Amino acid sequence: MFSQRRITGLAAAGLAIVLLAGCASPDLSSSLTSSQGTPVSGGTLIYLEQGAPASLYATQSGAYTSGGINNNILDRLTWQDPKTLEITPWIASSWKVNNDATEYTFHLRDGVTFSNGTPLDAEAVKKDYDTYGLGNPDLKLPKSEVINNYDHAEVVDPLTITFFFKAPSPGFLQATSTINSGLVAPEVLDHNLDYFAVATNVIGSGPFTVASQVVGKEIDLVARKDYAWAPERAANQGRAYLDEVKYIVEPEDSVRIGSLLSGQADVIRTVQAYDEGQVTAAGYVLLAPQTKGVNDAVNFRPSNPLVSDVHVRQAIVKAIDLQEIHDTLFSDTYPIATSILSDLAAGYVDTSKYSKFDLAASKKLLDDAGWAPGADGIREKDGQKLVLKVYYQNPGGQPQTQQTLELIQQQLKAVGVGLDILSPASSDYATLLNDPLSTPLYIGDAGRADLDVIGTYFGFKNRNVLKNEDPELERLLAVANSQPDQDKRAKAVQDVQVYIAKQAYAIPILQEPQVFGAAPYVNGFTFESVGRPLFQGTWLAKH
Amino acid sequence: MTAQAVTVGDEIRRPTAIVRRLRRVSPALVLAWLAVAVVVAWALVPWLFSAADPTIGVSGQRLQAPSIQHLFGTDQLGRDVLDRVIYGSRFSLVGALVAVGVGLVAGTALGVLAGTLSRAVDDVIMRIVDVLLAIPSLLLSLSIITLLGFGTVNVSIAVGITSIAMFARLTRSQVVKVRHTDYVEAAVGSGGHFLGVLWRHVLPNSMGPVVALSALQFGSAILQIATLGFLGFGAPPPTPEWGLMVSEGRNYIATSWWLTTLPGAIVVVVVLSTHRVSRSLGREKRG
Repeated sequence: MFSQRRITGLAAAGLAIVLLAGCASPDLSSSLTSSQGTPVSGGTLIYLEQGAPASLYATQSGAYTSGGINNNILDRLTWQDPKTLEITPWIASSWKVNNDATEYTFHLRDGVTFSNGTPLDAEAVKKDYDTYGLGNPDLKLPKSEVINNYDHAEVVDPLTITFFFKAPSPGFLQATSTINSGLVAPEVLDHNLDYFAVATNVIGSGPFTVASQVVGKEIDLVARKDYAWAPERAANQGRAYLDEVKYIVEPEDSVRIGSLLSGQADVIRTVQAYDEGQVTAAGYVLLAPQTKGVNDAVNFRPSNPLVSDVHVRQAIVKAIDLQEIHDTLFSDTYPIATSILSDLAAGYVDTSKYSKFDLAASKKLLDDAGWAPGADGIREKDGQKLVLKVYYQNPGGQPQTQQTLELIQQQLKAVGVGLDILSPASSDYATLLNDPLSTPLYIGDAGRADLDVIGTYFGFKNRNVLKNEDPELERLLAVANSQPDQDKRAKAVQDVQVYIAKQAYAIPILQEPQVFGAAPYVNGFTFESVGRPLFQGTWLAKH
Repeated sequence: MTAQAVTVGDEIRRPTAIVRRLRRVSPALVLAWLAVAVVVAWALVPWLFSAADPTIGVSGQRLQAPSIQHLFGTDQLGRDVLDRVIYGSRFSLVGALVAVGVGLVAGTALGVLAGTLSRAVDDVIMRIVDVLLAIPSLLLSLSIITLLGFGTVNVSIAVGITSIAMFARLTRSQVVKVRHTDYVEAAVGSGGHFLGVLWRHVLPNSMGPVVALSALQFGSAILQIATLGFLGFGAPPPTPEWGLMVSEGRNYIATSWWLTTLPGAIVVVVVLSTHRVSRSLGREKRG
């Protein structure tokens, strides 16, 4: 069995890789607003959110809309330090992992209760993890994408639980800290997925509880008065200073920014790059924690005949001028991607040499692949035009998706590749997006500060964004997801990045931050490891 | 002295024939015609008015305020907004033409049939038209687009369908009036074929107000198409559609007012102009 110290050592080794990789990029991970002075208790904070959460079922709260709420109402077994990325105690006060990462034993803190009075004990944790690890098809509750190879859990005593895995699951410790593993009262999991669309139904042990909800518009959180089990590293060990947080959904960028600057809102999520100047000029605070996972990228679906040829994909990658995209649409808050993983992600390796902007090389690759320019400048082969369809939604999960695509469209036109930018009705979107024959491209990203993230994103049994069963990729991912030795695992993750870059499976665009604007009197506003807001230590100075 | 003064005054009050005709033409109408003519010219030969490609931006020149170089400023990708408005006029005008065409043809056909065939057919058609009128036009066009799919042509068809009811009602009322006139009865009585009489006598004599309505509908179709474009149902990017331009610019409203204001102003000017022109057409018809 590993001792806890050994685990910390491993985390530190992983961290060293991250720090080495990260030292090249500017420091943008400013993860909290100033916290000088004595905290003031009381008050209501108005938070403007870009989109309404679809479901608060924990495994689906990877989306920042729902994750931002769950982060304040659900506790987790462990807390990942957003700066050092170490896994530290929270509901679990200590843990042990065996050598091949197939058995994890957690000791729980005593006296923790859910907001309905049910104790948070080993039985409750077992119910939660059995559901997250295996899913519950009868209730339509899906399995968690961050937990791999889960077998079962055993309650040792009321405050001790052991998890068993079918195969090594080295990412599990970090998985217990993610928003996808938020702990809910066991009775909540007796209901089906639809139950989680109503925020007041979701009972957790977190610093806030949901008082009321107007679906699609507003969710009101109130502080839990008896909260006394914050993460060991949290500055505030007691109840939240704030009495109330009002989450108001406001999809219009201009309205959010206007509300913040006119004093009608205290914190807003998603400040677009072109509005950053307004925020800082008014003396407001701009916070841009990085998401530290899979970068914003346009991914190819190689099973679509248009992009099945690796040379065509390489040509398209080389036709994209990332510097122009960055300079035209973004700011220094959005570093240019140099790999499919963020340079702050564990196991990052620079693969930008495979995707250098080179128009001549791009044209030559397309010529050699048999795509000759047609009368309208768009290349064709055997009567088929090289026009790719791409679907997006507005507002999408990535910043300025439409503008970015328009610029890419402009750049691809220069080498004779067409891009049709389509925004289908939301009812058709998922179907169209998941069919590689309807679109050869998929835009996405994933935020999670662990080596596991790349497997979660590309793995065939997970998100499988490429919709392509490339056995070599799956073999590399399998090593990355189940190799208990941290160094070998990091190496495997690097191999995956290089393989993806060589195969030109994706066009990494930028390293996505979560950009928040906050009024200057907001103190102690913090984030979890990948930029989801946490209001437990937040207080409002006199203003 | 007095006589001289009177003579001068008479000269002023007695203008030449041309000036008199010009005086009767209102300046607003002239401006309206001018605006329509310019926009039609934009739609037909946009390359005469702008040299640049409206879909290619210059990244170093993004979000520039209106200046001599860029009269309407530039957008977030460094594209000239005036160029985009000029090239976009084609989508709006063609769209409005298609919309009015759909409404005119389908509406007139329904109206003529309802006004001439049996009472039962009349009832059935007019109740369907009542249903069409009862649904708010924006909601109706949104539902139709959902069925047809997105795109400029589909948006035009959807907008056209919402005006079918109006055309059908107007045509029917005219047809009912004309049908019972003596010359139509005479034509039928003298052995004229039903469709022949319909085509030669009923239709031409019922069309006057319908033509005035189509001119009026043209303006509101431009507005409806812009509305649907704003909501994202029209042409996909980078098509410079007016409604879409206003929609895309709204996120920059605090920092770059010209992105929404200027294309929006053009839509307003064109819609008001077509309205003014259609009113003058209607008056001439009546007069």
